[in-house]
Amino acid sequence: MVDTPAPIERPPLRDLILRKGKRTIVGADPQGLIRGFFAANSSVTIIVLALIMIFLLKEGAGFLGTYKHELEIYRRAGLEFCDIVDRPLSEQQELSSKLRRAVTTSVDPIIQGVRARRDAAFLLKREVEEQTKLAREPLAAALEKEPAPAATELDPLRQQVAAATQQAAAKMNVPDVFTADEAKRLRDEFAKLTPEVSDLPPMLMELSAAFTVKDKEAKQKFGPLVDASDELEEAPEELRGVLDELKEEVLATKEAATTHFTLEEGRQKLLKAASKAKDPQEKEDLIKEADASKTDEPNYEESIKPVLERREELIGKVVAYAAAADAAAVNLPKEGGTAEATQLLTEVRAALPLHAKALRDGVESLRTWKQDKPVSIFTVIGAFFFGTSWLTNSSWQDFFGFVPLLVGSVVIALIAIVIATPLSVAAAIYTNQFASDREKEIIKPVIEFIQAIPSVVLGFIGISLVGDLIKEISEVPWLGWLPGFPIQERLNMFNAGCLLALMAVPTMFSLAEDALNNVPQAYIDASDALGATKLQTVFRVIVPAGLSGIAAAILLGLGRVIGETMVVLLVAGNRIAIPDFSGGPGVIFQPAHTLTGIIAQELGEVSRGSAHWQALFMVGIVLFVISLAVNGCARAVVRRFELPKA
Amino acid sequence: MPTDSNPAQPSIVEVKDMDFAYGSKTALHGINLEVERKRVTALIGPSGCGKSTLLRCINRMNDRVTGARIAKGEVRVKGKNIHDADVDLTQLRKQVGMVFQKSNPFPKTIYENVAYGLRVHGEKDGEVIHEAVERALTQAALWDELKDRLQAHALGLSGGQQQRLCIARAIATQPDVLLMDEPCSALDPIATLKIEELIHQLARDYTVIIVTHNMQQAVRVSDYTAFLHLGKLIEFGETERMFDRPKEKLTESYLRGTFS
Ligand SMILES: Nc1ncnc2c1ncn2[C@@H]1O[C@H](COP(=O)(O)OP(=O)(O)OP(=O)(O)O)[C@@H](O)[C@H]1O
Ligand SMILES: [Mg+2]
Repeated sequence: MVDTPAPIERPPLRDLILRKGKRTIVGADPQGLIRGFFAANSSVTIIVLALIMIFLLKEGAGFLGTYKHELEIYRRAGLEFCDIVDRPLSEQQELSSKLRRAVTTSVDPIIQGVRARRDAAFLLKREVEEQTKLAREPLAAALEKEPAPAATELDPLRQQVAAATQQAAAKMNVPDVFTADEAKRLRDEFAKLTPEVSDLPPMLMELSAAFTVKDKEAKQKFGPLVDASDELEEAPEELRGVLDELKEEVLATKEAATTHFTLEEGRQKLLKAASKAKDPQEKEDLIKEADASKTDEPNYEESIKPVLERREELIGKVVAYAAAADAAAVNLPKEGGTAEATQLLTEVRAALPLHAKALRDGVESLRTWKQDKPVSIFTVIGAFFFGTSWLTNSSWQDFFGFVPLLVGSVVIALIAIVIATPLSVAAAIYTNQFASDREKEIIKPVIEFIQAIPSVVLGFIGISLVGDLIKEISEVPWLGWLPGFPIQERLNMFNAGCLLALMAVPTMFSLAEDALNNVPQAYIDASDALGATKLQTVFRVIVPAGLSGIAAAILLGLGRVIGETMVVLLVAGNRIAIPDFSGGPGVIFQPAHTLTGIIAQELGEVSRGSAHWQALFMVGIVLFVISLAVNGCARAVVRRFELPKA
Repeated sequence: MPTDSNPAQPSIVEVKDMDFAYGSKTALHGINLEVERKRVTALIGPSGCGKSTLLRCINRMNDRVTGARIAKGEVRVKGKNIHDADVDLTQLRKQVGMVFQKSNPFPKTIYENVAYGLRVHGEKDGEVIHEAVERALTQAALWDELKDRLQAHALGLSGGQQQRLCIARAIATQPDVLLMDEPCSALDPIATLKIEELIHQLARDYTVIIVTHNMQQAVRVSDYTAFLHLGKLIEFGETERMFDRPKEKLTESYLRGTFS
């Protein structure tokens, strides 16, 4: 409304007067020195940060080139060609194993009884043999001797065995799948066990026969299911046959290429050394050595020829297999012997046509595939940033797609933040607004103490305690409706998220508490004077006013969680695959690997400068960028909603 | 102690023989004060004499300070002892509003600032709230300036506007008494003038008690003046009379500025 008068400029004369007679130290004025000291300190931090960035970039920058080169070989040698079929075909194994499970669960209820009897009897026999081992061993050893020892020598041993066996058979704990009569017969027969007779006792033979009969009967009952399972199992055999031969062929080319480039690299080093060498003799030796390791790059066009010659054959097999898969879907019985089997059958029936389609779709790619199509840098960038598989030390081909790691990191971080936010914010509100001084004295140090727990110890707790706890809880029958229950893996994203939440709570709590503390007293006065109750003041004035600080606390917690390594490495389960989100929220109980975990786990084992090494640095760069972004966001939030100073 | 309040007019705030102490330290001694309805009463006196303390006794803002208590006597608002067990603090503060020395609007919109008092008192009807906001802003001479940007952030207003917004916020719940603790001390002369004008108009509907260090302001805005010194009420009377012919030596020397 009213302009405040502009500040009057200080007369320069005054400055001159003030500056007069100032002391100097070695020609510099002390104020300047002190300033310089502090400036130097802060610039050291900035320089170090810059150096870290330069180092990361330098190591990571080579990655795109190296990976491009690898992908070029992958294409030119023809591995890519085989993968067109191999990738979709790999699904067949999973489908097949599902069908096998369907067969087993269907047949099981029928044969369970006889199988239990047979297995129990065999187990008893083994127990008797174990218990009488001490007596049996000398006899067995004696019997093996050449020439055979005299009967007088053997007889005492035989008696020992008989006595021990009789005793063991009498003590045998026969389970109640056998009637009393049967139990007696088992005891009698087992009492006669001796290493001299290798035939099974008659009772065992009978039990085995009974099982075989029942098994056959059951398989007959589910005949169509068993047939379908067998058919799907065998369907891709011919296709696999051709594919495996082709794969062998292209792999040989790739290996030749790899060898060539490795040698070539060494050769270049030698030549470089030679050009620097001063002694002519040494120079000559080096050049000679370099020449000796000279190899030619394999001729890709030549070596791919036999593969491409069989292109049509391969396509034929693919089409035949796809047709078989389609037929299998049609012939698959609707119902299995159990609900589980029926469920599996439904899944397989739905998946088979898609599987067949994926293969058929590949046919076109097989036809148009060319080995000399150049690999563009965008393909390489895409293969890293959008690649869905991170596959290393593979005998076939390494892939560095970081999506699975990113997804793992992000999901775990989100779980952690979702758990930690209510805990820490509620604790901060309570401590700041409601707690008595005594309570504050307890709560604050305790929460801050969590920070002092080494993360490796937390990881230990996650493995030994939290994992078991979650698993046990997930097996409680009346909790079965929860998504993902009962869980398969003790080490999973949820487990890691819980522990990371614990690690994030102290940071988030302290920052949120500071934010609430910074809410000016004047707001509280105003609210009180308007007759608001304590609760109203807290939730209508203090929390909204501190919200930006609380949001920043959450973001900084997120930064902390994304960068955490040890806990996720130990607890997240380290499965490098994009979790299966199709099951809904239950996905959080699946294992995963993370950006931080992969670096910690693999960096020590890879050779310096390799594509793998550089890929890990790229992951590091991405991690660095994410952390910067999160911190930047936190700062932006605070600046955007900054409160006037009280 | 000489007073010349009008006995015919019933007082809305009565302080009776009150001692007030912060812990062991007595800040006010034997205060007797009767504040007339719909008039402006100014509290003046040197720094530390207990003006703010006295003002805060009237809406019990001192309750929060540990150890602070009324040691003797009582404070009545509309005839009711405000420390009686059946007095609801929320209701008392609805009757007695307060404006602080430094303007302190909430970091919310202009609209929400004014509506805050109604909302905490349980008003849900949007229509009622809207009317109250408009009335309060009009009475605070802000409506014409701000009616087009009610959803703007309150902290974007000028200092003077912010203080008038705080006044609007305080009167939105239609209190009987409005307490003001040096409301202009952080404002420039023109903004101060506006507030003073406003106080004049507010006196039509409200009883105003204002603490001020500015003698001219006391003369300009108030009908009655109370002069405090070292926790004692030295003199209380009609402003005109007191500034013309103070009865007490102490008052005279304070008003003359020859006070030591
Ligand atoms: N919270 C408190 N705790 C203890 N003593 C207090 C407290 N608030 C004020 N006092 C004391 O009570 C006395 C009166 O203070 P008060 O703030 O009422 O003075 P004032 O007249 O408003 O002064 P000013 O004009 O400087 O605002 C002072 O001596 C002060 O030190
Ligand atoms: Mg004061």
